[in-house]
Amino acid sequence: MRRIASDPDFREGFAEMVPACVAMAPFGLVCGVGAAAAGASVWGAIGLSAIVFSGAAQILAVQLLAAGAPLAVIVATCFVAGLRFVIYSAAMAPYLRPLPARWQQGLAFLLTDQAFAAAVRRFDAGADPHAGGRHFLGGGFALWLFWQATNVAGYFLGNVIPASWSLDFAVPLCFIALVAPHFRTSPTIAAAVVAGIAVVALSGLPMRLNLIAAGVIGIVAGTLADFTRERWTAR
Amino acid sequence: MDGTLKLWSVVAIVGLLNYVSRLSFIALFARRRVPPLAVRAFRYVPAAMLTALVLPMIVGTPGDAAFAPAPKIVAAAVAGIVAFFTHNTLKTLGAGMLTLWALQAALGTIG
Repeated sequence: MRRIASDPDFREGFAEMVPACVAMAPFGLVCGVGAAAAGASVWGAIGLSAIVFSGAAQILAVQLLAAGAPLAVIVATCFVAGLRFVIYSAAMAPYLRPLPARWQQGLAFLLTDQAFAAAVRRFDAGADPHAGGRHFLGGGFALWLFWQATNVAGYFLGNVIPASWSLDFAVPLCFIALVAPHFRTSPTIAAAVVAGIAVVALSGLPMRLNLIAAGVIGIVAGTLADFTRERWTAR
Repeated sequence: MDGTLKLWSVVAIVGLLNYVSRLSFIALFARRRVPPLAVRAFRYVPAAMLTALVLPMIVGTPGDAAFAPAPKIVAAAVAGIVAFFTHNTLKTLGAGMLTLWALQAALGTIG
């Protein structure tokens, strides 16, 4: 433990992640506030943030818990919202292949939107897999640690934060920061626009099922647009 | 179902499923070929899922009194432009929050 903590790549990964941790702090606070509002104990809130370790899934879980949704609906919604991790996993796999299985299993747990973005930058810059792995561990650990701290703070500070700050708005902003840079190809834009229209049009569906439906419709739209574009460019 | 039991069931099952998603290609399917159609569809998962997740947080639900609040829509658009050009979460957050606060102060509303 001490050996890894004094490793220069680990430390660099940790330090480079601090700005992203600061940016995620309002999101963590909102998750903690939500857990308290859903009636979770402090240990339940910590369990959620420490084990699920995904803001999107945590927000959806506490909202659906508070609304009294059945367990199966909560699990399905959170799973679909977390499907993007499969994509990140596929993108990370070639970089992590030279590492021992234990490292792969450990780093997979720390795979989040922010850690993924940082790791891809690092590996694309030509880092050696082992140094890159330690760098990823440092960054992922920093995020995990800050995430727990801000979730617990939010749990206890929920009633102190004034509503006029509109802290909740930090949550969509964090996702906008992730998704907006993707909007560079027409199929990606098609996937987003169709998913966006679908999620609003289907908002009459109970228990946030419009999220799953809109996600699937958007993915199909993006894939179809991709085939269409290919046919056009092949001509 | 008892509330505490339900919460911990969510922690255990969602935690496990999220971990399986994260581990999937790194360890489980590392040696398996992925069908080309899946590879193509996978590319659009983040754009579709994140948009479906984020849009209701900005516009709300149709039929609500507070549907499509102008300050949030403008702030989200500003944040989107900053994110597109900077790829920086902190700058996106700062631009979006400052725009929202300025518009709320100008319009004298919270929403």
